[in-house]
Amino acid sequence: MRTFLVRGSRIFAAALAGIGSVAFVSLAGAQQNGITPSEISIGAIGALTGPLAFIGAPGRDSMSLAFDEINAKGGVCGRKLRLGFEHASSPAESIAAVKKLVEQDKVFILVLASGSTGAAAAADYVRQAGVPTYNLYGSTPIIRNPFAENVFHGAVVPVEVSAAALISMFHDDGYRPKKFGILAGTYAFPQATLKAAQDILRQKGADFAVEQFDIGARDFTSQLVSLQRRGIDSVLVLGSFSEAGFAIKQAREMGLANVRWVVDGSAVSTAIIPILGNADGIRGYYNAPAFPGQTPATREFEARLSKHLGSLPQGRPSVYDLIGYGSGYVVAEAIKATNCELTRANLINAWSNLKDAGPTKLGGLDITFPESYTPTDHQGVYRIGAAIVKGGQWQVYRVIDRP
Amino acid sequence: MSERRPDLAALLPALFISLCAAVGLGLDSYPQYVIAVAIISMLVGIALVVLVGLARCITLAAGSIMAIGAYASTLAVARLGVPYLVTLALALLAGGAGGWLIAFPGTRFRGHNLAMVTLVFQSVCIILIREATWLTGGAEGIHVPPPQVFGLAVTSDWSFLILIGGATALMTLLVTIMVRGPFGKNLQAVASNEIAAEAFGVSVRGYLTAAFVVSSAAVAFAGALLAPRVRILDPDSFGVLESIFMLAYPIVGGMHSVWGGLLGGGGLRILPELLRPVADYQELFFAALVILVMMFFPGGLAELIRRGAGLLGPHRERRLKSVAPPRALLEPHAVPVESGHRENELLVVECVDKHFEALHAVDAASLRVPAGAIHGLIGPNGAGKTSLFNIISGFLAADRGRVTLAGTSLLERRPRDRIGLGMTRTFQNVAIFGELSCLDNVIIGLGRNAVMHAVGVSLDHFADGADTQRARQQALAALDSVGLGGHPRSRAGSLSLGDQRRLEIARAIVSNPRLILLDEPVSGVADAEAEELRHLLLRINAERGVAMLVVEHNIPFVARLCRSLSVMGAGRVVAEGEPAHVISLPIVRQLYFGEQVTA
Amino acid sequence: MLGQLGFVVLAGIKFGVLYALAALGLVVVHKATKTVNFAHGAFAMLGAFASFLMVVSWQWPYWAAYVAIPLVIGLAAAAIELVILRRLRQADMFTVVIATVFLGIAISEGFRLTYNTELLAVPSLFSGPPFILAGVIVTRDTAWVIGGALLTALACIALFGYGRLGRGMRAMAANMRGAQLCGYSVDGVYMLAWFLGGVLAGATGVFIAPVTGVSVDLSIAIITAGFVAGVIGGFDSPRGAIVGGLLLGLAESLSAAYVSSAMKSCISFLLLFLVLMWRPQGLFPERSGRRV
Repeated sequence: MRTFLVRGSRIFAAALAGIGSVAFVSLAGAQQNGITPSEISIGAIGALTGPLAFIGAPGRDSMSLAFDEINAKGGVCGRKLRLGFEHASSPAESIAAVKKLVEQDKVFILVLASGSTGAAAAADYVRQAGVPTYNLYGSTPIIRNPFAENVFHGAVVPVEVSAAALISMFHDDGYRPKKFGILAGTYAFPQATLKAAQDILRQKGADFAVEQFDIGARDFTSQLVSLQRRGIDSVLVLGSFSEAGFAIKQAREMGLANVRWVVDGSAVSTAIIPILGNADGIRGYYNAPAFPGQTPATREFEARLSKHLGSLPQGRPSVYDLIGYGSGYVVAEAIKATNCELTRANLINAWSNLKDAGPTKLGGLDITFPESYTPTDHQGVYRIGAAIVKGGQWQVYRVIDRP
Repeated sequence: MSERRPDLAALLPALFISLCAAVGLGLDSYPQYVIAVAIISMLVGIALVVLVGLARCITLAAGSIMAIGAYASTLAVARLGVPYLVTLALALLAGGAGGWLIAFPGTRFRGHNLAMVTLVFQSVCIILIREATWLTGGAEGIHVPPPQVFGLAVTSDWSFLILIGGATALMTLLVTIMVRGPFGKNLQAVASNEIAAEAFGVSVRGYLTAAFVVSSAAVAFAGALLAPRVRILDPDSFGVLESIFMLAYPIVGGMHSVWGGLLGGGGLRILPELLRPVADYQELFFAALVILVMMFFPGGLAELIRRGAGLLGPHRERRLKSVAPPRALLEPHAVPVESGHRENELLVVECVDKHFEALHAVDAASLRVPAGAIHGLIGPNGAGKTSLFNIISGFLAADRGRVTLAGTSLLERRPRDRIGLGMTRTFQNVAIFGELSCLDNVIIGLGRNAVMHAVGVSLDHFADGADTQRARQQALAALDSVGLGGHPRSRAGSLSLGDQRRLEIARAIVSNPRLILLDEPVSGVADAEAEELRHLLLRINAERGVAMLVVEHNIPFVARLCRSLSVMGAGRVVAEGEPAHVISLPIVRQLYFGEQVTA
Repeated sequence: MLGQLGFVVLAGIKFGVLYALAALGLVVVHKATKTVNFAHGAFAMLGAFASFLMVVSWQWPYWAAYVAIPLVIGLAAAAIELVILRRLRQADMFTVVIATVFLGIAISEGFRLTYNTELLAVPSLFSGPPFILAGVIVTRDTAWVIGGALLTALACIALFGYGRLGRGMRAMAANMRGAQLCGYSVDGVYMLAWFLGGVLAGATGVFIAPVTGVSVDLSIAIITAGFVAGVIGGFDSPRGAIVGGLLLGLAESLSAAYVSSAMKSCISFLLLFLVLMWRPQGLFPERSGRRV
């Protein structure tokens, strides 16, 4: 009886020890609701690695810069703001990260610096948990519906708004589009925008064709040939800067001229310019009033971010940097608006009545659209910038108020 | 019957999982979540051990199978209102169907071609899920409703832990019983040596398919358990990279046992939580860990623990008492006698012909082996002996001719049908199942190895029931009779060559066949050992009345073992008769030595 | 109408030739060592990145990249064979396959950590007006990629088929003991095979860099395409690799244009599946002797 148990039970015992140590580690303590006499704990999740890192990493970098600036001026309500950023991309990772932040670290506010499905899963959780949550970058409907009292959506507008802005850019400067083409990635981001754009175009009775591509695609010949066959003169590209860049490059090589190109916000980045060489004339929407380098404020921001990070990777600061910075200040302002009675209920209440929140009120750089909320409308920004490449540089040429 | 000793060790993995869940209940909700997800990964690890470790089939489709289970369960609950527990069963079925679908073409291939088939399945599945937006929500994902169990909504972490812990423990128990029983043994035999497995009634395609089905069912079940925890299902969460990372579970944990899968799955799933401070380096760390484990700890965590435990003191093998089997078990296998054949002619080979393109390997060869006789087959290299041998045992198709055993025609039958008709064989390159114990090797020799039978007998094996005991006694008797009764539980691969040949003989006789085909039984064996083997074979022939057909190059051995010989040259049978007579024939001498035939 | 088909076919050939080069690297290693190197894509990615470094960051002349980078990557691959894979050579094929898979992941991740950018653009070698061939616009870059990559592949085939190095590798693959008896060293041949495989990977990287830019997902894209092309062509035939690559490129391009762009990779996988079922040894199977 003894012998047969010996082998298996040795592994059994060792494994139990392993579990025990995990339990021990996890019991390490946490603060009460994220508020201590000296600190306010803010949790955030976002992708720091992988294909969506271009969203999460800037979110962390710039929000921490904003908090540093605020803390240098004495913080909020006499306390310093502390950012705890957890890597999370997929739904599974996001739930784990959010649970850790909310249940173990007991943060005061949760920030979603994540896109798509990860943010959707987190949003689903927080609706149940009730913790004040700030969605920075998620534009897909599944993150925003149903409405929740404790969830606030910041600088990135819902896809219906961005799609409308994109379509309107085809009519700027007297252009009259005849036949539309949409080149959309098959992953979550572009698909949601595609749906919204299709709805708008159908409503207008416009003539359009849709071609799709896999994430990371580099060859668009087939899709472009198909569009060319239909005599398209206006193309909307919904994808990342690399996908849009190569698509436009190949289109030109194929002789597809006299086409107005409008690209999704995630493609409005300096990194698209070296791909094309000459990118002048390409338009896209931008979730901030000015492109980095276009105004003194943004130039100052670039300098500060560079100092904060030590060096600036290619393509930074990106729109996600600008939004992250601005959002950090909005968080601070919302906390301040509770009159320093720091409970979650007060915060939600205060946030729901925030008007024109942004960096300028707390001495930060004016590089984002101000955010306003009402108790029934938790979308902070409806404005969106229309940008175009001129002279090898992106610049916002028009601010669209509420398309 | 001797006392029952049920295989209680099979309970331990499931018990461990239950204990993990129990420990978790005393913790906060975040650790409860982590433990729940880790438990699910333990099941995935175990499922992958079955497929990747035991059956040695590379699969890149684990992600898509998990997706199938998760989506099937979620859609059934959300769209059809099916109760959650029922959808778990649904996920099992869907996963099993997916596994079957992969195996259908997949088992035709091995190695990287099989990996390719699984990759195709994985990619096509995910693309289909992504494109079927009306059903699955497409790339954006679908919301998973909280499960309802017996009318109660499961929303809190502790209730999830109970649900997941219980379901996983149950599934683990089932899989463990199957793995430790005849099904698992036969599967390992297939992975070890396909040809020998087929020769003893183990259908390679059948078992590999079953491995895919069982493994996929369990993975899909895990997916269905995971779905409510992640709240949103999207196709990208189940992509190729996920499949690859899941492959790391059996590698790091240990590929040869359920514990390996369990430890690998649980440990690697918890790793990202522990690596939070260095989240950037997570995937690099993971990949580096796998490579290091493969280089320096090939047995994985389980092996490491076993060796560490070994340092604490040797553990004694269970001593098995070998009991002499009842007389009845020793009678030769009774095969119905077809009318119209001569009573004492057991094996009849008539005019068998085989061409390999231009080479006429076997040329109208005929021979007869009477019942209970020992007949030899000799000839120089290239004479066609092995081809004829393989034709008789079913591994080569003949172009023309007849081969019958007690009147039953063999040529249309598959190799694995031979054992049911009373014919077994040994192999020139010792084809024992190295990973299994000697006892298990011989038990497989009993030939009762159909997939469904093996699965059905798993419970009997667990409870040490009558069937299992009888099989064990027969095997022990066979081992005794070849002189290997001392350490029946030692690993077959650790035996010396001579002992391995004895093991092969034991495996060949345990089913009490009417005829054993022996392919060069003493090749590479020293003279003294060859003598012992000769005596052994003579004794077996005398005691059990089993006929033998022996192919050998060792002429003195064959001359003193066999009562009659056939000589083959250039594909033809050139002489037949008593050994002394045949060997002295001029034509035979010419074949071997090239001497001129004196008139 | 014909012109549009021409564009599609041209794109198919361009990518097909790149896939062929990638597949050739896999086939070379497989022929000599009987293992499929799943880290091949990562090596190619490193080659592409090296191309960016040389041409954009250090401003070296472009031709230097084409010469130096394949050699450097080849040496790196041989070094990895020496350090990591030699230990695993006794293990069965399954172990080696998994090891190379995770090796590829480790390399990609290492790269991503040191150079955390989404994409690095690399300029084309030639600029200037494009050619017009039968109504199809062929950019100089495209012509260079197709011509250059094809030439490289053919040169490699010549080397492998007729050169002394190639003979040794094929001998080693056919019969290790026999080749050793003839004086070939197992270690030497294996390292040579990995070196050649690395050279081809580096070459693939340099050619593909201006076409797709340098990014982490290049690693997976190349190994997948190379592997599929290799299976289609038959893993033991260098000629098969070229045919397989071209077939794959054309199938992808044509199916995306005329069937469905969203299901592009789906269709190429189905093509692969059909080839596997119909001719599992590939289109150009190696004539193998019977094992008695």
